[in-house]
Amino acid sequence: MTASQTEPAPHSKSRFSTVLPYLLVAPPILMVFGLIFFPALQSTLRTLTDAETGAFSLARYEMFFADKTSVTSLIFTIQIALESLLGLFVICFPLALYLRFNTSRIATGVQMISLLPMFVPGIMSAYALIRFVRGRGLFETLIYQVSPLLADAYYSPYVKPEGIVIGLIWEAIPFTVLILLAGLRQLDNGLIESAQDIGANRWYIFTRIILPLMRRSILIAFCLNFISMFGAYTIPYLLGPAAPQTMGVLMQRTLQDYQQPLEAETQAVITFLICSLVGLVYVQSVSGERVRKG
Amino acid sequence: MTTVTITSIPFIRFFRREGIGILWLIGLIFGIVLPILTVLLWAFAIKWRYPSVLPTEWGLDFWMETLSRADIRRALPNSIALSVLVTVLSAVICLPASFAFARLQFRGKQGLLLSFLFTNAFPRFGLYIAIAVIFFRFKLVGTFAGVVVIQLLNTLLLMIWIPTAAFQGVDRALEEAGLDVGASPLQVFIQITLPMVFPALFAALLLTFVNTFYETYGALLIGAPNVLTIPVIMFPLINNQPIPQFGAILSLVLFAPSVVLLLFANRLLRGGYLTAGFGV
Repeated sequence: MTASQTEPAPHSKSRFSTVLPYLLVAPPILMVFGLIFFPALQSTLRTLTDAETGAFSLARYEMFFADKTSVTSLIFTIQIALESLLGLFVICFPLALYLRFNTSRIATGVQMISLLPMFVPGIMSAYALIRFVRGRGLFETLIYQVSPLLADAYYSPYVKPEGIVIGLIWEAIPFTVLILLAGLRQLDNGLIESAQDIGANRWYIFTRIILPLMRRSILIAFCLNFISMFGAYTIPYLLGPAAPQTMGVLMQRTLQDYQQPLEAETQAVITFLICSLVGLVYVQSVSGERVRKG
Repeated sequence: MTTVTITSIPFIRFFRREGIGILWLIGLIFGIVLPILTVLLWAFAIKWRYPSVLPTEWGLDFWMETLSRADIRRALPNSIALSVLVTVLSAVICLPASFAFARLQFRGKQGLLLSFLFTNAFPRFGLYIAIAVIFFRFKLVGTFAGVVVIQLLNTLLLMIWIPTAAFQGVDRALEEAGLDVGASPLQVFIQITLPMVFPALFAALLLTFVNTFYETYGALLIGAPNVLTIPVIMFPLINNQPIPQFGAILSLVLFAPSVVLLLFANRLLRGGYLTAGFGV
């Protein structure tokens, strides 16, 4: 349907052929700049100015940091994100290593299952985990089959901070495994074999050969997961406690339930600023690689 | 009498070789497969009382009840219409651009292409809050158009990144050969270029459709309460509904297009489409 527009331009240096590429890329570029970069920048600037005088002012931030609920939410969200990241790497790192060095049918099965959450809609994941881990859910039921006493001692993470951590890890496993595997694929088997030949032990191979090669994948997985976990809404809202709330839940309530768009905007900008710390690392890592590749 | 060493028992030998794999398999079945299975069981259960491992009464009764609810009868057409429209619009906007990124030379190309990747550095939900504040002023909040725009934003990265890589991968020699034997540029495009990039375009369209079908944040912040989609109406149904079947059945409705994705999972994986647009 777009065939005629995407015709290769004739090899003339006409004015049309210099303008054509820009015409073709303009629509998505305008959307990205107009609806992502511009609103983010505009919101940031607006939170820093007084609405009436237009002068520089930190009043909105003072208000945010003077409010106990908001500050608790911020700390809670950072905590949740870091805990989830820790759990995520504890699971995904060995999993990716296992998948890299095994090609058996079991390994294929393991890989397929580890990718499953990627195909599950976010809200379905939340629902599935609720039904699985809540009191008298399927998990407790299975424990009951082993021992009813054990089931009585079951501590459900549902509507607790642990529930959020479990949900966020669950959703992030496929992406993280794929990213780490992509890093491990650059690893040459011959390199490891020759290291073994000269007597290197596993620990040496892991720290001196595997880890340095994976630096970039680890960095990307860390940054992107931090950003998505920090800004998550569905999982914290459905699996987490009523209080404290994560920033995502707080923002939504402020905007829609309390109808306070200005306060919601301040909260959003604060999440931008925190995410921009890791966002910059990500941007640098990605653009550095593109420049290197050319 | 022959001595039986423990490693000669097939099962033990198998376990020694595959032990770690089997442990992973069991762990992941518990952690990933069983929660998904719970949804399936609830969707076809009429009664499921603790501590029964399986539903005590099976049936489709709740399907009728769920699908005839007024909110769902409004949300489902919305969800489908939005997904189709957003996918088509995304293709119209992005495919010509990705062709330009892959094949035409122009200044600032690398930087413009990277700007799509940089959108990953923004937390989605916070971003949509900022956009909602702007949309308020343009009276786009609570409108179908507003939801289309916000969901379209969500698709750009994928719809630019996958096709650009595909167009870059096309063998130019084949196209030139086509031109040499007298085919018009249009014929070359349709008969040589398009078939070569088709798998990637198909993957991009499929992923975009599915992602949009279960996109939640934009629809919730911009659409609600006027324009409701299936994921958005599921929040109250999951949170305050004593009847778990509603959530389970809607989960499966939402999951249905993903089954198509799962059928192509291997190809999506091998093509690198699942991690496209993250700068890996």
